[in-house]
Amino acid sequence: MSDDDFLRVTDVSKWYGEEQVLHDVSFEMDRGDVTVLIGPSGSGKSTMLRCVNRLAEAQEGSILLDGEEVLSPDLDVDELRREVGMVFQGFNLFAHLTAVGNVALGPRRVLGLSETEARERAEDQLERVGLADQLDSYPAELSGGQQQRVGIARALAMEPKLMLFDEPTSALDPELIGEVLEVMHGLVDEGMTMLVVTHEMSFARAVADEIVFLDDGRVVERGPPEQLFERPEEERTGRFLERIASHD
Amino acid sequence: MASATRPATVRERVAESDRSVGRLLLVAAGALFWGWLAVSWVNRWLGGVLVPVGQPLVPPAAVEATLAGIPVLAAYAADAGFVVEMTPDLARGTWLTVVITGVSLALGFVIAVPLAVTRVYGRFSAWVSLAYTELLRGTPLLAQLFVLYYGLNLASYVPDAVSGVFAREVVWVAILGFTLNGAAYQAEYIRGALESVEEGQITAGRAIGLSKLETIYHVVLPQGLRYAIPSWTNEFVYLIKYSSLAGFITVPELYYRADQIAAETFRYTLIFLVTGVMYLALVLTASKLMVRVEERVAIPGLGAEREE
Repeated sequence: MSDDDFLRVTDVSKWYGEEQVLHDVSFEMDRGDVTVLIGPSGSGKSTMLRCVNRLAEAQEGSILLDGEEVLSPDLDVDELRREVGMVFQGFNLFAHLTAVGNVALGPRRVLGLSETEARERAEDQLERVGLADQLDSYPAELSGGQQQRVGIARALAMEPKLMLFDEPTSALDPELIGEVLEVMHGLVDEGMTMLVVTHEMSFARAVADEIVFLDDGRVVERGPPEQLFERPEEERTGRFLERIASHD
Repeated sequence: MASATRPATVRERVAESDRSVGRLLLVAAGALFWGWLAVSWVNRWLGGVLVPVGQPLVPPAAVEATLAGIPVLAAYAADAGFVVEMTPDLARGTWLTVVITGVSLALGFVIAVPLAVTRVYGRFSAWVSLAYTELLRGTPLLAQLFVLYYGLNLASYVPDAVSGVFAREVVWVAILGFTLNGAAYQAEYIRGALESVEEGQITAGRAIGLSKLETIYHVVLPQGLRYAIPSWTNEFVYLIKYSSLAGFITVPELYYRADQIAAETFRYTLIFLVTGVMYLALVLTASKLMVRVEERVAIPGLGAEREE
């Protein structure tokens, strides 16, 4: 563990009421790394992800992002979220805005760009995710895969230093998953730092620098994909991967 | 898609032409009503360029004579002449009703939006908003008007800057009363609509760094206010009708004028029948207008799940 880790999560614990959902979770990432959180549903991986941009509040532990304590009560959370992009399982596109409107809202209202600049940036980002021909479509007029790509463009338009993906393909029909993964592959190639919660094991295997396996709110095992997938040290990891594989 | 190419049955064609005849009649009646109102107002405003102020736009005697010549309508000729004679008063009353309703509705909306927002997203302020809403909805509107007019004597506090806008200061008291009361009802409709905006919309707004207030302004309100239009139209329609309560604090709006005419002439049935038609015209206009507004601001997919 070096001092210049880009993201360092240390002993993060979280309770919902009486129930503890995260138990001393720790992991770290360098700039440009891709870390994939895997685990059964209810294992706390989405909650962990949301603690990083404070959509969920961890009660204990420390999350250092670029040297700054994310969990500090003095932190300006809006400032933090400006720099950390997030992509949701359910897309959560603004239903009253077109694709361009969705992507331009942050640059316009949060970053303070002019109307024209914000629109230009939105168009560039939509082009980046392959939606140059759907600029003025409303979310309801787009397929799930297209909506999720708008969601990615919306996060990218803020020029984040870290991207969080919360099961970005789980709500998609199988034939639409590919187009979203393709965009994500592209981001990996560009060197984006990404923390990803997903069940797409082939994606995880192909791009992850490290896999973190969570079960019951605890880190069971973590390591590079070849190690975790080929020679898991923990029995639970092996069982989980077998179960997942049999569904593929 | 077979049904789209199937020739319409006779019954369907009759129904279709009935509908278009109905629509035509409605448009004609609307044009007549608003034309009469507008011309009357312009005539009065310009000091009687068309006919002397206080005179009907068409001479009652002429109407009476014309109708008397038509066999089926001859029996109603005298009544029609009487009604035409009363139209200047009715036009003034109707105009005031329109103004009071429009101004109160707009001012009420300005108060209702923050009320609804604090009710849904506030903490302490949610209780203040709830208390306001319950107090204003839970007491009779007429009693509220009496408190403002007789109790607090607010008519004597109307600022000089606006006291000349209407012939009498009491009109402002009525507008204040309807604004405060209507805001409570409007807030209830808007609150319901805001609550139906999905939680994920707010999460997404916060996730790109918008503050809570900015998220409400840029994300929740544009959606929620669109959802609110159909139920909010109810408040519009109610306000047109309960603006007649202003008559009880001596505001010379439509009901007040009708009541005065009736008291002087004892033609209660006829006058209130005609007055009823005036209110009906206003209400129909309001609901048609709001349907137009709803269509105008509609966004594909937004609110579709609510129509199921």
